[in-house]
Amino acid sequence: MTRDGPDNEHPPPRGTPGWGQFIGDVGRRALEFGRLVRENVELLGLTLRYMVNGRRRRGRIAEQMYDIGNRSMLFIAVTLGFLGMILIFQAGYQAERITGDLQMLGPLFLQLLFREFGPTITALMVATRGGTGMAAQLGTMVVTEQIDALRMSAAQPVDYLVVPRFLASAVMLPVLTVFGILVSFAAGAVTANLAFNVNYYTFVDIGMIESFDIVIGSVKAIAYGLVIPIVACHAGLSVSGGSAGVGRATTDAVVRCSLSVVFLDFLISGIGYVFMAL
Amino acid sequence: MITLHEVGKKWQGEWVLRDVSLEISQGEYIGLIGPGGSGKTLLIKLMTGLVHPDAGTVTVDGQNLADLDARGKEALRFRMGMLFQNFALFDFMTVAENLAFPLRQAGELEEAEIAGRIQTALGEIGLSHAAERYPIELSGGMKKRVSFARAVIRRPPLLFYDDPTAGLDPVTSAKIFQLLTTIRESGDTTAVTAGHDLRGIRRLCDRVAMVGDGSIVHTGTIGEFDDCRREPVASFWEASRAEGWG
Amino acid sequence: MMEWLKVVGQKSLAAIREVGRLAELLWRILLNLAPWRFDGPETWRALYRVGVQSVGIVVITAVLTGAIMVIQSGMYIQQYGAYGLLGWGAGYSVLREVGPIMIGLMFSGRVGANNAAELGTMKVTEQIDGLRALAIDPVAYLVVPRVVAMLVMMFLLVIIGNFTALVGGAITSQLILGVDIEVFFWSLRTYLEMADFWHGVGKSVGFGFAIAVISCHFGLNVRGGAVGVGRAVNASVVGSAIAIFMLDYLVSFVTI
Repeated sequence: MTRDGPDNEHPPPRGTPGWGQFIGDVGRRALEFGRLVRENVELLGLTLRYMVNGRRRRGRIAEQMYDIGNRSMLFIAVTLGFLGMILIFQAGYQAERITGDLQMLGPLFLQLLFREFGPTITALMVATRGGTGMAAQLGTMVVTEQIDALRMSAAQPVDYLVVPRFLASAVMLPVLTVFGILVSFAAGAVTANLAFNVNYYTFVDIGMIESFDIVIGSVKAIAYGLVIPIVACHAGLSVSGGSAGVGRATTDAVVRCSLSVVFLDFLISGIGYVFMAL
Repeated sequence: MITLHEVGKKWQGEWVLRDVSLEISQGEYIGLIGPGGSGKTLLIKLMTGLVHPDAGTVTVDGQNLADLDARGKEALRFRMGMLFQNFALFDFMTVAENLAFPLRQAGELEEAEIAGRIQTALGEIGLSHAAERYPIELSGGMKKRVSFARAVIRRPPLLFYDDPTAGLDPVTSAKIFQLLTTIRESGDTTAVTAGHDLRGIRRLCDRVAMVGDGSIVHTGTIGEFDDCRREPVASFWEASRAEGWG
Repeated sequence: MMEWLKVVGQKSLAAIREVGRLAELLWRILLNLAPWRFDGPETWRALYRVGVQSVGIVVITAVLTGAIMVIQSGMYIQQYGAYGLLGWGAGYSVLREVGPIMIGLMFSGRVGANNAAELGTMKVTEQIDGLRALAIDPVAYLVVPRVVAMLVMMFLLVIIGNFTALVGGAITSQLILGVDIEVFFWSLRTYLEMADFWHGVGKSVGFGFAIAVISCHFGLNVRGGAVGVGRAVNASVVGSAIAIFMLDYLVSFVTI
């Protein structure tokens, strides 16, 4: 039986694979990482250059904004809603057990949503839904020679395809993050009320939110919004090898976007902590 | 007009095209023939700068493609038109938008004039009724005609037709070649046509280059090909004629 | 208004149908698992493939997650000077909640998506029909080995991931927060129980099972060529993410 799957560039050995081979495969992936980073940085540079001196693109950005929002709203509502309920369950249980004081549950939760979970989980969901969409779209365009046709029409694919997605995502990620925080907080409020009898007026308290929380949340959301389209479009544009290649690009996009988000989260949180400690 | 000098191209470490030299002068119509997968499409992509050679140089209009930056290539491509083997129509645009795209990209025309040009072009290919349809709603022959119209709508002097009749029935093929001939007669153009349809190529082209085994096997006028007894040229030419295409 | 109701109705019906077909696949998987009736070598190959795909990503994700949670806890702990609680704060959230969710999402993106694409390509190229023609049950031959492989690997990955996350957290607490590694681990040992660890591991294995079933389901039901494969990958990661959060909620609800 032939295995025509997306990973057939490293076909698994017949019989029993050894540990040496296993380590070799992991090593190969590590080496590829350097090339990927370089190519993505190059694409970012090109995108920024075309943003400054590219062609007019009325409507294309709005189209992409609608696309990203439309794809992800419901998904974000479901996942962040559940996240709010989970975190309030866990935190409420701990607080009840240790201090018995549930006064701070809402404000602390809101602060943590702003600092961490709001932007990061929203971005992971956008990467999952919108990132794969971008990679699949552009990958299909490569395979069907539409990218070549763009070039022959004297259009630059990066200018025409990547720049609108880049700008739209940079605008939409903060918007979706605010939406996600609202949904999550509302779901948390209902859970706190039903499970721990916390009054809505006690729960909905924005007293803890300082400018630091808003700044760090916004920086995260904007950074994710800038990186996800670049990484996803890069995965789509570097497709080769027919329809199996499109499948591979789609899976690559999810993983690379998610990893970038987690890495940026670490970086920005770390810098934020150092600032706060000063 | 177009000069290939000892051009070579590697694919996954192997030479798929090697030592290809070809000269195409202004106003000439040249046909590229050869078995499927012999590199006809690759040659066209090298001439348009869509693919970079790993050896040799490609010169178009006196400019070495390797020396051009993105803007330079853009400028050159305003003078080029290409009909793609698999249509390559933008699937998120209607037929009219597909045709408008190269014109808007040039940025010289008023919207009203663009609309007029699209009307005329659609009339010429007999698809006036399909302006607002999306490519997915069209048949193969219709897509071919739209792709052709998009290639020539800027009236470029340099044309590339990659297998203009692939997968089409003989009647539709004849119509497509009729369109190509009309373009040839209506102005000063130079064209490279790849394909299997020898009858069409015989009618349209002055000269033929046969591609095989990663290089150009033989070049010559139609008459020279008829007289050629060298293998594998003779048998390929004969086989195509025997099928009734010649 | 009527239009809107119609759309909502159609969407809900489609969703219910999808869940029904998922349940059917689940049932057929369980039927094959119970008498231990599946292809041994195929399972071993699947295990190997899943491992190669996911170990690196899970380790990186885990290290970063551990580091992030240490920083986040650090922001509160620094305010009150309660450095002894750092290991507990970060460790508790990593082991019980954030670790399993992050590793689950990564596993879904890497292994689940790849699995859906692989099965989808086989479906589109009629290889699945070929198996049926040879009287080989695709569920027994293709699906069950993958499900078993993903379950086993998820179990191992979470243990590896927990370990590397705590190491990443300890290094971060030393380098960025200036809290000694020994203090960090002391806090972990003192305040955390094995129950916290097993809570996360158990949940993750559940996530792994859900990801396996969902990705196989969408892979096997691909229709319409290359575009269909892309859609299946998308559906698989979206469905898995929803399943992860819903399962997590259920577990939290039941265990508390």
